[in-house]
Amino acid sequence: MKFKSVAVTTIQFVIVLFLVTFGITLLVRLLPGDPVSTLMPFATEETRLELSKELGLDANIFQYYFSWLGDFVTGDLGTYYASTGDGGGVAVTEMLAVAIPRTLLLMIYVIGFSLLVSIPIGILLAYRAGSRLDNVISNTMFTISAVPAFALGLGLAFVFGVKLNWVPVLGYEPISQGIGKHIKSMALPTVSLAIGYIATFSRLLRVDTIATLREDFVTMASSKGLSNSWILWRHVFRPSSSGILTVAGLNMAGLIGGSVFIETVFALNGFGNLLAVSIATRQYLAIQSLVAIVAIAFLVFNLITDLLYAVVDPRVASHRGA
Amino acid sequence: MEHKNRPPLGLILSGAWGVICLFSAIFGNFLPGPKWDDYDYENFSSPMFTDGHFLGTDTDGSDILAGLIHGARTSLGVSILSITISLVIGGSLGILAAYRRGWIDRVLSMLFNVMLSVPNIVLVLVFIAIFSSPDISDPSAGLPKWIVLIASFTLIVIPFLGRIARSSTLSWTGREFVLVAESIGMTRRSILLTHIVPNVVPSLISIYCLGAGLLIVVEGGLSVLGLGFDSGGSWGSMLAKNRNELAFSPHTTLIPATVIALTVMSLNYFADYLRLRIDGRESRI
Repeated sequence: MKFKSVAVTTIQFVIVLFLVTFGITLLVRLLPGDPVSTLMPFATEETRLELSKELGLDANIFQYYFSWLGDFVTGDLGTYYASTGDGGGVAVTEMLAVAIPRTLLLMIYVIGFSLLVSIPIGILLAYRAGSRLDNVISNTMFTISAVPAFALGLGLAFVFGVKLNWVPVLGYEPISQGIGKHIKSMALPTVSLAIGYIATFSRLLRVDTIATLREDFVTMASSKGLSNSWILWRHVFRPSSSGILTVAGLNMAGLIGGSVFIETVFALNGFGNLLAVSIATRQYLAIQSLVAIVAIAFLVFNLITDLLYAVVDPRVASHRGA
Repeated sequence: MEHKNRPPLGLILSGAWGVICLFSAIFGNFLPGPKWDDYDYENFSSPMFTDGHFLGTDTDGSDILAGLIHGARTSLGVSILSITISLVIGGSLGILAAYRRGWIDRVLSMLFNVMLSVPNIVLVLVFIAIFSSPDISDPSAGLPKWIVLIASFTLIVIPFLGRIARSSTLSWTGREFVLVAESIGMTRRSILLTHIVPNVVPSLISIYCLGAGLLIVVEGGLSVLGLGFDSGGSWGSMLAKNRNELAFSPHTTLIPATVIALTVMSLNYFADYLRLRIDGRESRI
């Protein structure tokens, strides 16, 4: 049974992947205007013809899709044409080599930081459920989580960047420039994106922990005279954590989209930036490859979360097996 | 639980803020005072409460309060119109899929799933590119900005509302009163209208409020990318226009940011309140 559900999930995954990439091809075809004169208004006739062939303007949509797919799986993601418009440009893969590590690091920091902060808060609120402290913190977090990340980012940039001058307001520093500089450049984007997740995660962990606290083994442990903190961390935390881990996994995928605005606000020049600029300047080939990458990453994260969910929480597997 | 008969404070504050925003959106044009696109060429970047400008002016000498009042119309207008159209279209499609089942359901569910498997911010960027001007060097050609935004927002929200409407309808179609209605020979259309729709709509209302807030945020973010309204025409656009002046005149950016945040907070409160009310009704049944 378990194998079957994995197989079904995987087949569905492949079908959706196929439909999504084909859908993107269709959408890119719908972009208004003439691609050749948009991308290279000053190029020679020869270069223009090459581009028109590259974009499959002479082929039908299916022929074009499969030739694009062939290029895509062999690692040819197309060219990002220069704004000079004479036909010059950079390979999209080269730009991704710069952009992807930045965005991946940002995603890891955001999820890591959110978990680090929300786990103690969630456990504490569950332990003190219904108290004044619980009410105040829960309501405050609900309220703060409504602030859009980019608005929060601007506020934080003003306080910690402009007024206190602790961190730079703009720009990215790679790790090779020194770990301190790197962390400073990533601190504000990470915190601005993390606030919303901290609220979601700690609320979820609070609910799951309250449920675990009602279990017999907790009563047993406390009647043995074990200390409260020992019980919370050693007996309660692990069985309560599967929900928060799943949601963290799912949100990792959502962050790919969510980081677009924040990367622009802090000028990180990551994947989100690259995508936004490609769309604004109508980089037909780059848009298609980049959106396909996002969709694949999104689907893969969802698939992994789906499969892991059954591994982490045995109840899921037994329900499916039944 | 001692406040059972009094609405919670958060709800009162959210309601008050909502009324102020709606009033500005509807009657903003008739209010006295400077207009958002009247530039005061003697007072650039005035701080708050100076030079006859209640909230000061931005780098172009445009009155910030007037900008906020005008922005209420564009920001709220775009988000509320988009979410309403999506509710009607997405809701109908979802209910139709769940009630008819068969191939309609399979096709629609697949379409929703495919659309939901691209992050919605990415999808909205693609739709905006599709609806915008054919000539990249002349962004003002083609459709007006608000139509571009509403069309793109509507398209990305439909799958969310459609999927929720579908699952909500599925949970009602098996109920006894629907089976009874079928057995006494009521037509499908009247069962849908009298029994299904009135029960599905409440489950969508709380999502409606959340979605309206989310779209205000998305419009703000798009302005930061330079794809929203131009030159201070909406809250997000005011924030985006002045954000490079953060160090010199922070109020020009932070005031619109605060207004966006307050509006989203209010909408989240409404959503939460409605969700609790509706859940409560369900659990009493």
